[in-house]
Amino acid sequence: MNGATWLSYSLQDFVMFGPEVFLRLFARINQDLWPWLLLWPLAGLVLPWFGRQAAELPRRLAMALAGLAWIGCGYLFLVRYYGPVNWPATGFGWAFVVQGLLLLLLKGRALPAPMTWPAAVSWWLAILLLPWLSVLEMPDLWALALFGLAPGVTVAATVLLFARQPSPLRWLLLALPLAWTLFSAATYWALGTFWLLGFPVATLVLLVVAFRVNPSPAQTPDSQSVRPGPGRQSP
Amino acid sequence: MLELSRRRFLIGVGLSGLAVASPRLMAAGSSAGEQAFHSRPIPSTGESVPAIGMGTWITFNVGGDQYLIDQRTRVLETFLERNGTVIDCSPMYGSAADVIGAGLDKLHAHDRIFAATKIWTSDGSETREQAATSERRWGIDRFDLLQVHNLLAWQEHLATLKEMKAEGRVRYIGITTSHGRRHSELARVMETEPLDFVQLTYNVLDREAEERLLPLARERGIAVLVNRPFQGGSLFRRFQSEPLPSWAGEAGVGNWAEFFLKFIISHPAVTCAIPATTSVEHMQENMGAMYGQLPDASQRRMMAEYVRQL
Ligand SMILES: NC(=O)c1ccc[n+]([C@@H]2O[C@H](COP(=O)([O-])OP(=O)(O)OC[C@H]3O[C@@H](n4cnc5c(N)ncnc54)[C@H](OP(=O)(O)O)[C@@H]3O)[C@@H](O)[C@H]2O)c1
Repeated sequence: MNGATWLSYSLQDFVMFGPEVFLRLFARINQDLWPWLLLWPLAGLVLPWFGRQAAELPRRLAMALAGLAWIGCGYLFLVRYYGPVNWPATGFGWAFVVQGLLLLLLKGRALPAPMTWPAAVSWWLAILLLPWLSVLEMPDLWALALFGLAPGVTVAATVLLFARQPSPLRWLLLALPLAWTLFSAATYWALGTFWLLGFPVATLVLLVVAFRVNPSPAQTPDSQSVRPGPGRQSP
Repeated sequence: MLELSRRRFLIGVGLSGLAVASPRLMAAGSSAGEQAFHSRPIPSTGESVPAIGMGTWITFNVGGDQYLIDQRTRVLETFLERNGTVIDCSPMYGSAADVIGAGLDKLHAHDRIFAATKIWTSDGSETREQAATSERRWGIDRFDLLQVHNLLAWQEHLATLKEMKAEGRVRYIGITTSHGRRHSELARVMETEPLDFVQLTYNVLDREAEERLLPLARERGIAVLVNRPFQGGSLFRRFQSEPLPSWAGEAGVGNWAEFFLKFIISHPAVTCAIPATTSVEHMQENMGAMYGQLPDASQRRMMAEYVRQL
């Protein structure tokens, strides 16, 4: 195709499903997984409590829970439910699963330092308030976008953890959330589901918050204690 | 796949000769009490198809959502009840083929349709494989029409489609474009290849096809499927709040859906317009355009002028 042909396409030409189909994905997955779906938001609620501990093990657990959330929304929401109506969602879904596995494998490099209170509060606000955005679009409680299942909420909350990682791991972990943010914003815009634009916007806001409330891990005293240095071997 | 019913046979054989001369004369009905509907002959065989078909881009891509699959089945049922047969799809349309297949299963309607899909792959050796996959998804033995989607790898696909037609694996072959893209290239294919169908965008605002492609289709005896008859729905968004012209009734137009569709199917080169909808009510409106009087050439000019002024 030449340049002129490409220019004749609009964003809407790339969206192959309607808003009703997309919004019903939230309700369908919640109804199909009821009551087990409650495990994900519960995990989301306790995650900052683990993340705030000084001991390393609970912080590893926090990262592992985040990993499970990524696997949950990658495989269930994106691959199983969203993929059949939108090809790129399947690719994103498997990438989410790989990112989740990466988080599980991170082990000792989990959270370099305990989560700060502002980060924890931002986290809770994200997973308690953002789910209602999909209900504002589709007035049905079943349509709640839950942490661990809905990608928008999961991505927005977990960037708070990824921004804590030392470079270059931080940027490796942030690449997919940023790609998803761009992709989902374009999709919601084209669908005309403007409330859902709150997910990508919240992700960017939380990213800024994360960088502001979390000084670079390399500069925090407690981060030095958990990061393996040249003279120190991790077990 | 379409099995010729007695009614369609009569329409096809008895009236196909008149159709080219005057689309108005092509309204046909089977028996007293049943309203006449407009159909058009496929020039390469003379077989008739109803002048309004059904597209499935976006509208039938509902994934595994059983509630929406049932709802789209009702849309399909309404289409069939109103004598629609031509259904257009593509492997590009996500789950649409599966949803059509589920609907046809439920309505036991596999033999009541004119099944049209596309070959959409840049791999020119995958034509047969993709057609077979689509047949399985629709639950049919063979397609009535296979089209090369958006001229993608058209040389390779068309060569295979010609073989498939010769073998009886498909009844008609064609090629598609949309949004007014690549008309010169499509014209070259129409001039040199033995096509049964072309599919292109034509509506009361997008009229580029009138210049070259529609006259060429008539000259070469190629049937024309018209996509984006409502410009993807934007014609309604722009004009639905406006009144119809005072002379609409004289042109056989009772609502905006009929205005847009009758404008298209009254063009003498057009075989069938394929609007898409998610709604039973809209399907009823759209199929309404297949009945009653059609605008003549001067009324068509007035229609185009009216929307241009709005
Ligand atoms: N390159 C290609 O081969 C190509 C490209 C484009 C399209 N196509 C084919 O052509 C078909 C038609 O084109 P399209 O789907 O892009 O656009 P279209 O048929 O021009 O417009 C579809 C839109 O019109 C709305 N609509 C339908 N009937 C209506 C009514 N009576 N009142 C109000 N709104 C109505 C539908 O909304 P509701 O759901 O609310 O009714 C839908 O949003 C496609 O589905 C596809 O099969 C092929």
